[in-house]
Amino acid sequence: MSLEGSEIPADGDLVHRAKRGDKFAFGQLVERYQGATYAVALSVTGRHEGAEDAAQESFLVALQRLDECRSPERFAGWLMTIVRNRSRNLVRRESLRHTDQVPPAARSLVPMPDRVAETSELRERLKRALAALPEIQRQIVLLHDLEGWTHREIAGRLGLPSGTVRSHLHFARKALRVSLGGTPAGPDLQRKAL
Amino acid sequence: MRDNVHDESRYADDLGPDEELAQALGLLDPAQQDPNYWLSFRSWVLSNATAELARRRLMHELTVADVMSSWAGGVVSTAVLAAVLAGLLLVRGADDPPPPPVGVEELLVSEVEGETIPTLLAPETNGAVAFASEIF
Repeated sequence: MSLEGSEIPADGDLVHRAKRGDKFAFGQLVERYQGATYAVALSVTGRHEGAEDAAQESFLVALQRLDECRSPERFAGWLMTIVRNRSRNLVRRESLRHTDQVPPAARSLVPMPDRVAETSELRERLKRALAALPEIQRQIVLLHDLEGWTHREIAGRLGLPSGTVRSHLHFARKALRVSLGGTPAGPDLQRKAL
Repeated sequence: MRDNVHDESRYADDLGPDEELAQALGLLDPAQQDPNYWLSFRSWVLSNATAELARRRLMHELTVADVMSSWAGGVVSTAVLAAVLAGLLLVRGADDPPPPPVGVEELLVSEVEGETIPTLLAPETNGAVAFASEIF
């Protein structure tokens, strides 16, 4: 994504307009970063429901605190900080609350078509593999390989040195491949997913 | 989530896209199960942001004239009351006679008690010749 293009408004411009209550500008910011906020929230919470809640709430919090965003052109990094904090708070609250939700193991006993079952199983394997990574590596690999950010975009937006991002990405990919069954897991994953 | 994950030109000096891993991670994208997921996501956020966006629009549309006019009621009434009070005081003060003019020397010594020189004003020295001098 090239934000510098003349057709696409820069973050700073959208933030200034959103500060004045421009719904369309705020909507563009949400559309631009909804995937990234979800990815970062998922990397912290480890589950869809929590990630969705944290990502959506983060946009609302960001709008309320938009005047505190000192560098509107660096909105993405500021937003990701809010997402991380909201997600961590959510995890903390959830860990204190005892729920009577159906555990994943019990849910997997529900009969379902083979392909759906395989996809679901693969999704659970992915979640477990991601859960074994440090949080920062989960964030980086999801932003890079799921959301499509370059390592420079990640470095700039998360406030990390470029080399650190490359290093984390390298180790995260390596660990994921090992967790998912080594290099041959790639084609295996593709076959199951398709 | 994003289509550009497959755009290799974006990764010129990057580690490059990992197609297999990206495809596997794509399973975590909620849009895989619900194609309208992101639209619903955005709609939820925008509908819950309506009040805050409206507040921001209102704050931005307020002009200096609006602020002044909102103050006008209180400020004008206070100013009129103050002017009336000042006028009354001036009118009442005009009936009193003006104070007599006072000289500067008189002002300098007024309210200051003059000390006598005890030797000169003592009763037993009446009739006697005395010399006095003061050095300032």
